[in-house]
Amino acid sequence: MTETMIPQFPDYSIYAGLYVEVANSKELHSVVSNLPFAFIEADTICSREQLFSAVYKALIESSFNKQRTKTLNSECILSLSPTSNIGEAFKRFGISEKTSRIVVLSIVAKTEKAILEAKELIHGVGVDLTDEALESGYDLGLIKKVCSRCTQLFERLKKANLLLTTSRYIELQIGGQIPSTFCGRIIKNISECHSAARSVTRR
Amino acid sequence: MSKELIERVSNYLNNNVQIELISQGAEAVVFITHSHPYLPNASDDKEQYIIKYRPAKKYRHPAIDKALTKHRTLSESRILAKLSQIDGINVPKLIACDVYNGCIWLEFLGVDLPNQCGFSNLKNFLWMSVADPYSQLVEDVLIKVGRQIGLLQWNDYCHGDLTTSNIVLVPENGTWSAFLIDFGLGSSSNLVEDKAVDLYVLERAIISTHSSFADKYNQWIMQGFSQIYELHGKSGLKKLKEITRRFEDVRLRGRKRSMIG
Repeated sequence: MTETMIPQFPDYSIYAGLYVEVANSKELHSVVSNLPFAFIEADTICSREQLFSAVYKALIESSFNKQRTKTLNSECILSLSPTSNIGEAFKRFGISEKTSRIVVLSIVAKTEKAILEAKELIHGVGVDLTDEALESGYDLGLIKKVCSRCTQLFERLKKANLLLTTSRYIELQIGGQIPSTFCGRIIKNISECHSAARSVTRR
Repeated sequence: MSKELIERVSNYLNNNVQIELISQGAEAVVFITHSHPYLPNASDDKEQYIIKYRPAKKYRHPAIDKALTKHRTLSESRILAKLSQIDGINVPKLIACDVYNGCIWLEFLGVDLPNQCGFSNLKNFLWMSVADPYSQLVEDVLIKVGRQIGLLQWNDYCHGDLTTSNIVLVPENGTWSAFLIDFGLGSSSNLVEDKAVDLYVLERAIISTHSSFADKYNQWIMQGFSQIYELHGKSGLKKLKEITRRFEDVRLRGRKRSMIG
């Protein structure tokens, strides 16, 4: 695991590493909530930029707004997700029982002592977390699947001539499921959008 | 530029990020920096990034100020993010955004023009080309600018503040490609009125800064603009006609349709 820092938040150390050929993901999956790490499915990460932008967002949210999950590490997983649904974010970007490549992430305040036992926990091969290493293994199909709901919805709304501001709103309200019967309508204001989103959820 | 403001920004950015002021507007100040907001080992002297910061306004109630800053920062970033997903549209890449402090990090674009002509926005470029104002190069650039605006409006977005200094030229394979910047007043709109006003504002900007050659310049921009609409067959031509007709109306009466505000 390498230690880095975000210039704007010098009080936090960020430890990040990549493990491949992990054999005990089933075991890890069962204890992941008690560990001081974020275990991320490496197949969904295609570059360091993607990973660290989530770290940045998590730090911004917890410093200036409010943290929505229990720890900074889990906040990072939420920040990776295009939607604000916590459970869904964990399911998509967190590890599963079959995961063999794991990105390990840990954000530690400098005042606390760093706990670095990931090496002993994970039965796998540690590799340097570089763009090349991430690029060689990511699964574009999977990324498209986990991130596409928003873009898909965007396309459909555009076809249906809905305004974009409302599209984001509906997207948040119903998590991306707009039935085709609904697409013919043009929504003019936010309150109409609200009621429309509600009526869709009811169906 | 008040010292206090610089201090506030430096305080927020924590002194690890060295900044240099390049522009100040009514709503935001723009800095340049060499540090990447989050990517490790990406901060070196060659790379440059833009920080656009919206300072809190003291004459507003703090609660309202917070809400407004958040709303404006978010809408600008959202437009940039959506535009960068559209094929063919050139906008700066959004790197990071902190809506609670009104801070956006963007990709740095543009170069310094030769012979001390200044930064490579369209305005300086046209000034630089004043010796040979009707050259093929100028024509190509203006048609490209027109195409960018056409693409933007074909996708139902409006820039809101199209001026020659908000169009940045980036050298590419021996020629220039046009990038649109500053979407602070941008919106997503399918109203013909908004589109026509966008074109009118740019036309006025060109008339007032390059008056001797404005007719030809505007003609080239409209040529590029039309090209995009003509690609889309009958429905494109119909929309183009609507916009040009309204454009003429706006030219007669001015930008404000209603006299309120």
